[in-house]
Amino acid sequence: MRLRRAGLILLLLLPGLGLILVLIGSVIVMAFGQSVGYFALTGESGFSWEHWREQLDGRLLWRSFQYSAYIATTSSILSVLLAYPIAMWLRRPFRGSLFAGALLKAPLLVPGLVAAFLFINVISFHGFFNELMVWLGIIDRPIRMQNDRNGYGVIFLQVWKNMPFALLLLTGSVQAISDDVLNAARDMGAGSIARFRKVILPLTVPAMQAALVIIFIGAAGDFSFQAVAGPTQVNSMAQLMVRLKGEFGGYHEAGVVAVLLMALALFGSVALAGLTRFAVRAGMKV
Amino acid sequence: MRIRSLSLTAAAAALCLSLPSVANAQQDFSDMSWDEIVAQAQEEGEVVWYVWYFQPAYREFVQPFTEATGIEVIIPEGTHDGNFEKMLAESGRDAGDIDVIALGGSRHALFDQSEYYHGPLSEILPGGDQLTYELEGVDTNGYGVAFWGNQTGLAYNPRLVDFEDLPQTLPELEAWMEENPQWFGFNYENGGSGPSFVQSMVRNIMPEIDTTDGEVSEERLASLAPVWDWFLDRSDQFVITASNADSLTRVNDGEFAVVAAWEDHLASLQAQGEVGDHIAFYIPEWGHNGGGNLNGIPLNAQHPAAALVFLDWLTSAETQTALNQRFGVAPMHPDADDSAALVPNEMRAYSRVWTAQPFGDEIRNQFIENVALEM
Amino acid sequence: MRAGTINRILIVVLIGVCVLWLVIPFAMAILWSIVDPSQAWSYPDLFPARVSFQRWVDVWQNTALKDALVNSYTLAPSVAITTLLLATPTAYAIGRFEFPGKTAVQVLSLLPLVVPGFVIAVFMASLLLNLGLYNRFASIMLGHCVLFLPYAIRILSVSFGLVRQDLIDAARDLGASPWARFHAVYWPALKPGVLAALIIVFIQSIEEFALAFILGSPDFTTVPTILYSFLGFNFVRSNAAVVSLILVVPNVALMLVLERLLKSANPAMVSGKG
Repeated sequence: MRLRRAGLILLLLLPGLGLILVLIGSVIVMAFGQSVGYFALTGESGFSWEHWREQLDGRLLWRSFQYSAYIATTSSILSVLLAYPIAMWLRRPFRGSLFAGALLKAPLLVPGLVAAFLFINVISFHGFFNELMVWLGIIDRPIRMQNDRNGYGVIFLQVWKNMPFALLLLTGSVQAISDDVLNAARDMGAGSIARFRKVILPLTVPAMQAALVIIFIGAAGDFSFQAVAGPTQVNSMAQLMVRLKGEFGGYHEAGVVAVLLMALALFGSVALAGLTRFAVRAGMKV
Repeated sequence: MRIRSLSLTAAAAALCLSLPSVANAQQDFSDMSWDEIVAQAQEEGEVVWYVWYFQPAYREFVQPFTEATGIEVIIPEGTHDGNFEKMLAESGRDAGDIDVIALGGSRHALFDQSEYYHGPLSEILPGGDQLTYELEGVDTNGYGVAFWGNQTGLAYNPRLVDFEDLPQTLPELEAWMEENPQWFGFNYENGGSGPSFVQSMVRNIMPEIDTTDGEVSEERLASLAPVWDWFLDRSDQFVITASNADSLTRVNDGEFAVVAAWEDHLASLQAQGEVGDHIAFYIPEWGHNGGGNLNGIPLNAQHPAAALVFLDWLTSAETQTALNQRFGVAPMHPDADDSAALVPNEMRAYSRVWTAQPFGDEIRNQFIENVALEM
Repeated sequence: MRAGTINRILIVVLIGVCVLWLVIPFAMAILWSIVDPSQAWSYPDLFPARVSFQRWVDVWQNTALKDALVNSYTLAPSVAITTLLLATPTAYAIGRFEFPGKTAVQVLSLLPLVVPGFVIAVFMASLLLNLGLYNRFASIMLGHCVLFLPYAIRILSVSFGLVRQDLIDAARDLGASPWARFHAVYWPALKPGVLAALIIVFIQSIEEFALAFILGSPDFTTVPTILYSFLGFNFVRSNAAVVSLILVVPNVALMLVLERLLKSANPAMVSGKG
């Protein structure tokens, strides 16, 4: 009987989870395998560290790695920082709060590529922002802002697109805190900052971690924002991977980048989530 | 003889119906008369042309061909890399999606055309002996036929800089860049106009490097160091753009006075109203690369006869003249009229051949490592 | 009263920010989409010298937009329905059964969200090349199904969890046929979840770029890949503006429907908990 039940559950899991494991599993095997010389499309297939050595020798890969790590960390933290006060503001319904929430979440409806395009139109040399500043007489000649070297444009876009997502998670979590808990804290003499630090923050840690992790992974693997609005002197990891694969059919080289990108996504997001928990705990004790 | 080849055609046609892929893969056009090829082309009724740029404009441009022959031309989307990879990946299949594929001249150094293409076209096409089969220093031995000649150079905004003040020599360029910092832009990826400028600088700063030699060695790469120093010394005077198109859009916006560009690309964007007609183009005396695209017919094409008839039309003097008028490109037929280009003919003397491969590609990689990443 | 005033001020500020944030960018896109091809919008003109809908006509007639729309709008519903069918058994297991390793199952089902999209795209392409598979529609469809299964599994397992066991038992005791039981007990709890999953997967599939771009290369276009070609290599700002607007509008309409669905689902969730 128990065996039959276990069999039934396995059977039920097969089309959904099974398919996920098979496909994502083979994709990961493929990336690892090709990075060490297997599954060659042309030429000889066989184990070799050559592609790793070659990629690790050049500076291109490390610059891309650092750049993607920087964009992912900054974007995820900024999105969450910005989302918190808004989530607190929208915690209790008031006249217009639904409208405000809808306005803030609107960027969720805009596909990334469209967002990047809209943004470029506003900040380009001939764009709205420059025209306005020149017209107001604040500057004589338009400023060059497109493809800025520090990736501020990309970070702006990441926050634009992801802050609403963080807000969605945090609002739910903040609203779930009952008034009783907050009132009790107030009765015990906790000020609003202390209440935030000692009650709200710890209770919303899981939502905050989820938001950080998902935004981090998305931003680390970004291609479209970088391709349209990113600095031209450096590639993001995804961009580098696509370039290596596309221009030279270099699946082995792309494999090396893919493995490092997966490592960045995994360890970076776990580290970020861990640090958050640590920081919140430390904040409680102070 | 005639009867024999006719019956062969009939047999081939019969085979086509039953086993189209195998028959097409093995079809040999050297035995057939041109009339027979045209007849087979009518039967086939369509041709799929993989051309990697200006697809919307080409869809309009090929209409006269369809009106004259009844053969439909299908132009799918696709990039240079994507189309090339598809052609290689599909070569193992009996029937491919591609009937005609356009590739840049130097791309042909990467594979042996006689193993992938029908041909030699120089012996099958009626006026085949008048056409060009070698571009950018790569000879396709008659298997790829040139249909598009293009030229890199500098696009400039005459509202910001007069033609007389434009730099023509390396010292003039140095002085001009110093006087007008950040008024010059070029790309190093997504298009060849910037890389062409970089190759020009290699030729001018290090004349002792033989650019017809494609060999890559540590020693040759090390000899490029003065070129990278030249760029790094001026890194606050130029701007790296995202692509060919980005450069032209921004020179149109008034952000740059001068950018590296393709002549045909500029002409096409002007024809679409994307870039203003006032933006002009010149080839500096220090020389910029010129080259072009060739078409080939993959062995597993499903409409090979229609492909031949289409190529015959595309490379004819009339069509080449029309291409020159529509896109400003250099015609690839000796009898075509080339008066509609963006630059006067005497300027063509400054056209140079692309640096031989793989050294040419390596120059770009070195530029990324030594200049872009240092900036 | 004071809080009310602050809220009002904040809303005004918010509206101001949103004008910068949303209205101006979209207004610029509309403006670019109506620049007449006969005269370029170049420096130093503040507004296009001539406007018309010629761009819309050109983009419609000469670009691959029609194919892309057909592709996107055949792909998305196929993906939505297939994903729903694939997700249902797993969601049923998670929602209705307790078993060892359930948490692991839930975590593992999130795997497609954790691996960066372009890694999946590039190495799925490589996998298919190695296997010698060429059908791009089927490849993208398979990829999309796997990519969006996590959403469908998550939403549906919550829905299955809301189905009340006492009602199932009662229906059985009353001798209801399986179909009647499904119709009377399961469907009311599942309906909002099923519709929400369908819409979310549909929108995600329409918007998805990485797999469509890599697996569809070179000639299978969807709306986002065609937009990318207008933004990247063949940068044509006016065409990009037209395609952007075409991509966004149906999305907004669908999301409004979704919003209503989720609202109507709320009471069910509350009563389900009760």
